Amino acid sequence: MLRVIATRMIEASIALLLMSLAIFLFTRLTGDPVALMLGDGATAADRAALAQEMGLDRPLPVQYLEYLGNVLTGDFGMSLTAGGQPALTLVLDRLPASLALAGVALVFTLVLGVLFGVAASVRRNSGVDIAARLIALVGQSVPSFWLGIMLMYVFAVQLGWLPTSGYGRWDHYVLPALTMGLFTLAAVTRLVRSSMLEALGSEYIKLARIKGLSEAVVIWKHALANSLIPVITFMGTFFAVMITGAVIVETVFAWPGIGRLAYESILSRDFPVVQAVVLIITALFIIANLIVDILYVIVDPRMRSKS
Amino acid sequence: MKPCTVSRFGYGVPAFVLGAALGLTAAPAKADDLIVALSTFSEETLVPWAGSGQRKTYLDLVYEYLTYVDPATQETVPGLAQSWSASDDGLNWTFTLREGVTFSNGDSLTSADVAYSIERMIREDSRAGPSSVMRRAIAAVETPDDRTVVVTLNTPDHELAQGYFGASQQLGIVSKSYFDAVGEEAAEANPVGTGPYEFERLVSGSEILMVLRDDMDDGHWRASPEFDRVIFRVVPEESTRVAMLRTGEADIAPIGFDSIPTLRDAGLSIVSAPATWSPVIRFGGLVQTSEDRYNPDAPWAAREVRQALNYAVDKQEIIDALFQGEATIAASDTPVPAWENVAPYPYDPERARELLAEAGYPNGFDITLRSFTTTPGAELPLMAEAVALYWQDIGVNVTIEPIDWPALRSAWTEGRANDYVWTHRGFPFASAANGLEAGFTANSLFASYTTPELEDMIAAFGQEPDADRRTEMFTEIGQHLRDEAAAVFIALANEPYGVSAKVGDWDISTSYIWNFDQVGRAGQ
Repeated sequence: MLRVIATRMIEASIALLLMSLAIFLFTRLTGDPVALMLGDGATAADRAALAQEMGLDRPLPVQYLEYLGNVLTGDFGMSLTAGGQPALTLVLDRLPASLALAGVALVFTLVLGVLFGVAASVRRNSGVDIAARLIALVGQSVPSFWLGIMLMYVFAVQLGWLPTSGYGRWDHYVLPALTMGLFTLAAVTRLVRSSMLEALGSEYIKLARIKGLSEAVVIWKHALANSLIPVITFMGTFFAVMITGAVIVETVFAWPGIGRLAYESILSRDFPVVQAVVLIITALFIIANLIVDILYVIVDPRMRSKS
Repeated sequence: MKPCTVSRFGYGVPAFVLGAALGLTAAPAKADDLIVALSTFSEETLVPWAGSGQRKTYLDLVYEYLTYVDPATQETVPGLAQSWSASDDGLNWTFTLREGVTFSNGDSLTSADVAYSIERMIREDSRAGPSSVMRRAIAAVETPDDRTVVVTLNTPDHELAQGYFGASQQLGIVSKSYFDAVGEEAAEANPVGTGPYEFERLVSGSEILMVLRDDMDDGHWRASPEFDRVIFRVVPEESTRVAMLRTGEADIAPIGFDSIPTLRDAGLSIVSAPATWSPVIRFGGLVQTSEDRYNPDAPWAAREVRQALNYAVDKQEIIDALFQGEATIAASDTPVPAWENVAPYPYDPERARELLAEAGYPNGFDITLRSFTTTPGAELPLMAEAVALYWQDIGVNVTIEPIDWPALRSAWTEGRANDYVWTHRGFPFASAANGLEAGFTANSLFASYTTPELEDMIAAFGQEPDADRRTEMFTEIGQHLRDEAAAVFIALANEPYGVSAKVGDWDISTSYIWNFDQVGRAGQ
């Protein structure tokens, strides 16, 4: 187990290093914050002076190495626009909102996805199965910005049950979490359904039934326990889908998370903040996958013997 | 490990996350609050010099300016300055401050506050849009007594009071004694101004709360607010703002022209700030007075071609289809009343084809048109599509390149002769001189068109002290820009706001000045 974690940590460091270089270069490909801050009527000398003051006139390798050195000491640089606040502070301030939303969406996705998947596999080709497959189809094919706006119009504008957007109360979570989770819900439903179908047809389930175990125990304990392994495998990916989807969902629902911070800082070409958001998201993704790896070892005895 | 660890792992993470979320709750809105949903808070900084003018949407409730604009007449009227005068050469300005104005912390307004506000606006670390231009212009600021501010300039500016010192720009007045007492950092986080509202709270990326000052029993010199609290919410997505208006979660919100019929059908009203921006198509590489930024080989370097591209576009059709009629045809650049008498190019594709042939392009040419969206300006990409079709009709082949505003702005200001044309929102400056300088002199990075003749006209205009003569000269410049077809002028467009039934009397009539402190309640 320790060796798995150690290997993962080394891989994670390399991934973060590459990501820091990629994002450093990509953010600088189109436009710079200097042009945005200059007032209409500014001169070439004004532009040069501002670039120099912000340290953006130096060669890129120099800027990158300095940035990398600072990041290693936990200094992600100062925001170029937000009153000179540390970029990391801005990101960490917005992180709880994003984690909360992704957390709610993930729980909702797993609970409903497992229920739908199990129901669909046990009652194959029934109404439940068709409904579950329909959700899976819609969830994976509808773009989230459109889905979000449609949900808002039905549940907030037409029915008046929920607020359109905003942040703070429990009911603010419902629509964005639904929007964020539907894609993953579809994926979980499909995964559980197919692996349950496989498990239900296997020899050990036949044995469990011959032993006289109740159908509930057979389904929920024996079949489901094994069917969850692929779901766990994909959990890291699901989490990544949610966090990257947050850019759209948080913008549509005015949610003050890091997705919207990323969107806003890209629009203002606030390089240090964009870099900090992307590195933090990358780190989250790596941590999520590490947790998945550990869970995997725990739930699957075959992995334990290998490690 | 025991199997029970699975459940601890499986549910522990979400539970932690939920707990984290519950700790961060914003105060619920009260029924009598005014809720304004904005597309952006921009930098979220709270002092005038620490960011863009976009923050004026909320900061204008707290800070006030030396002069304002009368919405009815568009005249410059006294603000914190009771009166002002300029020397004939436009180099010395004297402002006399209004008496009895207090900041929300109780300090009285003095000339030292104005001097300090100017000093901070032009200090090297200022992040305000006009800071660099103002820094170059201002030579000295003196305060001979508590109520008098004397500003000496390096170059003549006959419109300083309505221009860089007016309410449409960023020189909000802060309290020097407050900064001295609490220090820069604390003063910047918790701003104090002379406006009728006090800053109460900022929830980053979410809301800003302003509350009515409690020392206003005798009223405020400028505004008589009817709402005790104004809540600003940042809602970047336009359809979400429209939904909020429909559910009553927002009382005022900027909207796109598309949403006007939907909101009217839902029983809401629309208040439009008239002619605040001017959708236009600018030509690259026509700064003739700068070697690096002029490309005489571009097809549109020929005046006939630029005129043809103007004649080719049915502007009224674009206004009706894209702007819901909320615009008028632009005759020239930048929306200012002085150019009302300039006649726009009519829609005449036949004439356009003739002009193209005269210029040596009987079979047209290829052109790249870049476009982007902003607020206002969500319609610009569609406008680009429409213009492309009209140009296609006279044989000009258009390639549309979608781009975002920051990338375009960077490329625009790189100091090269750009080999493409692009959509733009115009230069809606309160001061005509400032707008001309920004848009049409080689000194400005944002110039896209100028000629030696035009630069001379603008320089002469800048030096002219006589007001009537200035108006004449300004009209001549507008006519010149039109005749030379300095851009493809499309429209002078309004800026529509959706307004809920809670709001009674409210009008917004000038660009870059926001008056959410003067919103009336319905039924009062």
